[in-house]
Amino acid sequence: MKATALSLLFALFAAHVHAEDIVVIVNPTAKPVSKEQIVDAYLGRSAELMPVDQTVGSAIYTEFYKKATGRDVAQIKAIWSRILFTGRGQPPKQLPDSAAVKKIVAANPNAVGYIEKSAVDATVKVVLPLD
Amino acid sequence: MNARSWRETLHRRVGRITEPQILFPLIAAALLIAVWTATLGVVRLKDAEAEHDAALLSRELLGTYEAQVVRVLREIDQTLNLVKFWHERNAAHGALSELKNRGLLPPDLVFSVSIADRDGAIAESTGPVGTGSVADQDDFRKQRDAGTVLVGQLPQGPTGDRKLLFSKRLNTPKGDFDGVVMVAVDAAFFVSGYDASKLGEHGVLGILGTDGVVRVRRSGESMFSGDVVDYASVLPKSDEADAVPPLSRSSWDGVWRWSTAREIYGFPLAILVGLAQEEQLATVRKDALGYLSWAAAGSVGIILLMAVLGRMSWQLAQSRLRESESRLEHARRIEYLAYHDGLTGLPNRSMFSKLLTQRISEARRYNKQLAVAFLDLDRFKQINDTLGHEAGDQLLIDVAARLEGCVRDSDTVARLGGDEFVVLLPEMDDGKQASIVAQKILSVIGKAFTLIGHEFRVTASIGISLYPHDGDDEQTLTKNADIAMYQAKAEGKNTFQFYSEKLNANTLERLTLESSLRHALERNEFRLYYQAKRDIRSGGIAGMEALLRWEHPDLGTVTPGQFIPVAEDTGLIVPIGKWVLKTACMQSVAWQNEGLPPLSVAVNMTARQFSDEYLLQDLAAILKDTGMNPQLLEIELSEALLIHDVETTLRILTGIKSLGIRIAVDDFGTGYSSLATLQRFPLDTVKIDRSFLGEFIGRSEDSVLADAIIAMGKSLSLTVIAQGVETKEQAEFLRTHACDELQGFYFNRPLPAYQFAQLMRAQTADISYIGTRAGLLNPEL
Repeated sequence: MKATALSLLFALFAAHVHAEDIVVIVNPTAKPVSKEQIVDAYLGRSAELMPVDQTVGSAIYTEFYKKATGRDVAQIKAIWSRILFTGRGQPPKQLPDSAAVKKIVAANPNAVGYIEKSAVDATVKVVLPLD
Repeated sequence: MNARSWRETLHRRVGRITEPQILFPLIAAALLIAVWTATLGVVRLKDAEAEHDAALLSRELLGTYEAQVVRVLREIDQTLNLVKFWHERNAAHGALSELKNRGLLPPDLVFSVSIADRDGAIAESTGPVGTGSVADQDDFRKQRDAGTVLVGQLPQGPTGDRKLLFSKRLNTPKGDFDGVVMVAVDAAFFVSGYDASKLGEHGVLGILGTDGVVRVRRSGESMFSGDVVDYASVLPKSDEADAVPPLSRSSWDGVWRWSTAREIYGFPLAILVGLAQEEQLATVRKDALGYLSWAAAGSVGIILLMAVLGRMSWQLAQSRLRESESRLEHARRIEYLAYHDGLTGLPNRSMFSKLLTQRISEARRYNKQLAVAFLDLDRFKQINDTLGHEAGDQLLIDVAARLEGCVRDSDTVARLGGDEFVVLLPEMDDGKQASIVAQKILSVIGKAFTLIGHEFRVTASIGISLYPHDGDDEQTLTKNADIAMYQAKAEGKNTFQFYSEKLNANTLERLTLESSLRHALERNEFRLYYQAKRDIRSGGIAGMEALLRWEHPDLGTVTPGQFIPVAEDTGLIVPIGKWVLKTACMQSVAWQNEGLPPLSVAVNMTARQFSDEYLLQDLAAILKDTGMNPQLLEIELSEALLIHDVETTLRILTGIKSLGIRIAVDDFGTGYSSLATLQRFPLDTVKIDRSFLGEFIGRSEDSVLADAIIAMGKSLSLTVIAQGVETKEQAEFLRTHACDELQGFYFNRPLPAYQFAQLMRAQTADISYIGTRAGLLNPEL
């Protein structure tokens, strides 16, 4: 019963996040990047940028991949499993929250990340709003 | 001979091959064999190539997969070792988060690392924690006793998000069991390298334990685990790394694959790679189907092409055949025409002489007889003249048909030309048989013919010669049959005659005469002799009779008695008679111009001449041309001729008379003509036949007869001439019986023109000389 209630709560929270817009951010000094470059980076097709992830299975993680690449979690996992297994790359580093993402992006000119729109501040630059 | 015949046989066989009905099927068969051999060869080659390629690919994929799996396993092993080291060294909690923060753990996405304490409770984990304790798991229990890496098993069935668990024992510093470090990896991860572009939907990629339990295997998008395979059987038999994997049937799904397995060094695991036969060969099978379709289409094309070519060639050959046949037909026709009579279709003369020659040689070889029968229609010329050529031709056709109808098949009927036919009887036992056939022919020909609506009857004359009796070569037999035929005609026609030697002598002479006679006029071989007629009272020359002589270059002088009948029969008498008349008239005119006394000239005329339709025209023309006084010309006709057809004779005689020509009856007294008949004719002279003179001297009854004939002539107011006077007694008798003129050897033999001219000149100069010669004026007589 308790688990069910928790799940319900979690679902409500997810719905709340869903309602909130996600933006892709880069280092303010970085050149402008296109959506294709971002998608390629998160699907392991290109090593040009250094993408960072939020926690696997988190609402923003799921929402980001769905909006940016049109794929669900399982597909993303399969894609990165394959890349990892065949030794062609490493999946993006997982960070616990948007603050950690901003911190990395702000520190790294090559980095790219995604956070809630509301979390955007001057340390990063929004290159792609996802809504 | 053998070599040659072999060569000929070979040549014939090779020749037969070029015949279209053999050649084109042969070419077609050769092409079909070539096409199908090539196609099947290519298909088999491609198939073998594809199989080889698939096997090689399978091996290559195995190598790649091995490298990937080994790398991942090393990483896992390294992680286990790292955690173990950290844990054992620091002996504190929080090893995992420490390591993770340092980025030393593998990505959370796939790997989840946990540590269980010595009781099996999960102390720490990077992934979601399941039950919180692994104390009841086999691996955990095993790790208490062993220090190796253990690979957990998965339950049988489709593998979704199930994980493979790798574990290692943690030790206390003293070496006691202090828990387990575990790395859980999604089973799917190990087969995420499945490349559908190479492995297809039915290939297989998998990992199995050395215990034979399949940890995970993937075909297409489907993943399974838990099957048990015969571990020994999936490993290659030989140790050679580059051995080509064999085709085998997978135990779990029954698919044929080139599959091979390889043990992973340092782990109780083996990898498995397989390529499905059906899938790998699909392309080449499809290609093969394409090749076979092309070959089939090509075959149909070849067959059609060959059929078309064969048909065209056949048609060409047929048309050539037809052409050569028509040429042959033409040649046959030409030959037929050369050897056959166009009108009746019977063999012609050339064919007949060939056949006869052939039959003679056969008869000679087999000692047999044969007969040649010549046949000539008796009145054919008349029919042709009166009914026209078409009727004549029809008659010949009918006669030919009848002849063919009455002889045996082995006999030959031929037409030699005109109305002459010949029958060759090649199988004769004796002459009697030939006469039977001849008789049969005569009776068949004798039956009525219907020509242009009228019935006609014709007769034929047949002459027969026999081989070998009458000749042993074609020419002799033919000639002798011809001679016999003439004889049959002479015998009175509508009869047949066998050849005999005697016959030959007579007829040959006649034939010779006939042919010479045809040329006699052209060669100017005729001469006229003149015999004087004496006036019985004065003894002077009262006139003359022109007599024809033939100076034959070989035979010498031929008398009219010998050749006139021939000339009469052949009709040559007409031109000869004209020549005689003209020559006699010219001579007479010439003599008169010389100053000799104008004397009458008598010229004999035969029946044929007399009945010639142009007689009167010819006479008139001759008189005109020569300037002859018609009163001096006398035509002598025999009594028998005159009484043959009185009315016609009267008409002709009147015509002659109207020209002013005198008419004499020759051989008077032999024709038994009545006085009344003679009276009707416009006659001038009668000549008493010599037969009355030959015997009457000394016999009173002959004298009376001669006397009566002379008296009869006198009573008709005709000049009476006695001819053939050869003795003095005869002359004396005639003189006393008041004959007018005399003619005969007693007075003058017939003389050539120049001698006769001398005679006349002599008489003019000395009449007594002639009188003395004549003995008439001799008073002593």
